[in-house]
Amino acid sequence: MKRSFATLASVLLLAFSSAAGFAKDIELAIPLPLTGSNAKFGEIQKKSYEIAAEEINATGGVKGAKLVLSFEDSQGKPEVARSIVEKLIDVKRQPIIIGEYTSACAKAVAAVAEERKTPYLVVASAADDITQKNYQYVYRMNPTSAYYDTGLLAFLNEVVKPRSVAILYESSDFGTAGADNMEKQAKKLGWEVLLKEKYEKGAVDFKPILSQVKSKSPDMIYMVSYVMDASLLMKQIKELRIDAKLFAGGAAGFDIPNFIDNAKDAAEYVVTATLWSPQVSYKGAKAFADKFKSRDKDGDYPSYHGAAAYSALFVFKAAAEKAKDLSPESLRAALKGVDIETAYGPVKFEDRDGYQNQNFMETLVRQVINQQHETIWPKKVASKAWVYPIPKWRDRK
Amino acid sequence: MPKLEVFLQTLIQGFLLGGLYALIGLGMALIMGVMKIINLAHGQLMMVAMYMAFWLFTLRHVDPYLSVVLVVPAMFLLGVGIQKFLINPLQRVDSIMPQNQIILTVGIGMVLTNLATLFFSGDYRSTPVSYATKAWYLSDLWKGSPIELSVSYKELVSFLVAAAITLALWFFLQKTDTGKSIRATAQDRDAALLMGVNVERMRVVTFGIGTALVGAAGCLFIPAYYLFPDLGGQFTTIAFVVTIIGGLGSTTGAIFGGLILAIFESFTATYIGMGWATVGRFVIFVAVLIFLPGGVASLIRSKKLGK
Repeated sequence: MKRSFATLASVLLLAFSSAAGFAKDIELAIPLPLTGSNAKFGEIQKKSYEIAAEEINATGGVKGAKLVLSFEDSQGKPEVARSIVEKLIDVKRQPIIIGEYTSACAKAVAAVAEERKTPYLVVASAADDITQKNYQYVYRMNPTSAYYDTGLLAFLNEVVKPRSVAILYESSDFGTAGADNMEKQAKKLGWEVLLKEKYEKGAVDFKPILSQVKSKSPDMIYMVSYVMDASLLMKQIKELRIDAKLFAGGAAGFDIPNFIDNAKDAAEYVVTATLWSPQVSYKGAKAFADKFKSRDKDGDYPSYHGAAAYSALFVFKAAAEKAKDLSPESLRAALKGVDIETAYGPVKFEDRDGYQNQNFMETLVRQVINQQHETIWPKKVASKAWVYPIPKWRDRK
Repeated sequence: MPKLEVFLQTLIQGFLLGGLYALIGLGMALIMGVMKIINLAHGQLMMVAMYMAFWLFTLRHVDPYLSVVLVVPAMFLLGVGIQKFLINPLQRVDSIMPQNQIILTVGIGMVLTNLATLFFSGDYRSTPVSYATKAWYLSDLWKGSPIELSVSYKELVSFLVAAAITLALWFFLQKTDTGKSIRATAQDRDAALLMGVNVERMRVVTFGIGTALVGAAGCLFIPAYYLFPDLGGQFTTIAFVVTIIGGLGSTTGAIFGGLILAIFESFTATYIGMGWATVGRFVIFVAVLIFLPGGVASLIRSKKLGK
């Protein structure tokens, strides 16, 4: 009797305190990998969420309420992420879940959210099936991995119009998936795949295979590699003077500053698919990138993970202001109607092509111009005009 | 014509890479010849030398090719230290396993890898030199050339320096007293001992030279490649295969072994597929063990006897 009274009291107390909290603050706990091998990305996102919360609070908060963030370390482990989210929903009665990084964790969280009828906004997890399971409460603002290179394909189709392609890729899951996808797209678009060749990571000399590529003179060379192989490939392509119309990289190794530092002038004019870039002209992108950079201890620009996290809170704000109250059900309904421009790009959740509540945004294309990664596609957000056709190696300085 | 171009370019690449493979294999062959053990820390020692070259380049702007002059003596001392304080004492210890020196080298390799990770982190490093992508082209030299071939500046320089070092080693082994003593120890340890050769000392010197050779290879490699703590294993394997092809412990054999392996790998990459190049490495390794157990060295020897 005494015990049940105590329980009742504490439940009442809890209900009271959370009800009282509503008027002033909105507490949001965000699960992220803050330790373990994905900690770096967790850290980038944490900093970005904090910047967003500061800005939102400085301009009147969400419906006049202050946003108070806290972070829960999921260590990149799905089982930990699951128990964190169970706690947030069951105990803290948090009306919406935002966050996580790895696809494995996001999948676990999505299952819990769907079961507990609480909306979950996926921020940066790319595995396709997260939004293919007919979940009603799971929304995703980042493009899935199958859509990573939509921008690149559009650029190729409209500007380069290659007739043939050679594909070189690392013999890992990542490389194979990228190469297979490009082969599929090439077949669909009627480009001839002249050569599709994989290599072991750590290869020293690409010239034998590259001279084979050269003898077939493809219009485009598409490579899926990590950073060191990416620069070795471009350096050796330069040494052999292989004059394809275009050199394209499937993100990863070609998309980071390190690539230019290593390959130097051999990196010039290489294009890559990417999700976001600090130079993109989405409203607020540059301001966010600069603010992030000024706070980063290494003075680095944020990756797309950061931009997605930063924008996620603005998506939440838009939904919360649309919703009649901050209950899970109203938030879910409001998310469906969100259609805003963020620093990360346009966000609007659609049901199509087998996806539910998925944001389909055109991904970006970057090109190395004057030893800088510049956004060249889509045209309306480009930071520089693309360079095409690219000069032949012999004619470069 | 394009077919011929691909063939010749592949041959050039194989040959240039072969010079470096030979230099990597030489050190291991020398150690194997004199001490009858396989140094399985060979690639890891190369990694250490590459870090030396990397830091010299990054902090002091020393060109990797010039850093050979500094790295080689340092690596010699490291090799001497390892032999003197780690491997030699082990000989005096009775153990259940006869090959515990080889196991020791595996341990040394692991320690070196982990130390490198600890001190320098697992990041990829490289030395972006100014001549990184300089090359000579046939069509520049001969305007009407029907085919285009290119020879990379850094690959050619690496090859020439490797050849010079190999030549210097040959001269050292043939003409100097120490060199002759080393060869004597390799041929017959007991006889050498009876003839007054300080076998213990020769072992120390040999391990030092072997380490210095692979150190030189590291310096020559880094402008064309990159560096991370785990890279040693791959080059230990290459050195081992080169040594087997060459004939266990034969230095002349190792030179041929390096060239054969690299050219074979190049052709595998061009005509079968680049993913198969590493498989090709083991195919030739097994083939030599089965069909030519003595390696190239046994061929050379039988030729000599035949005359």
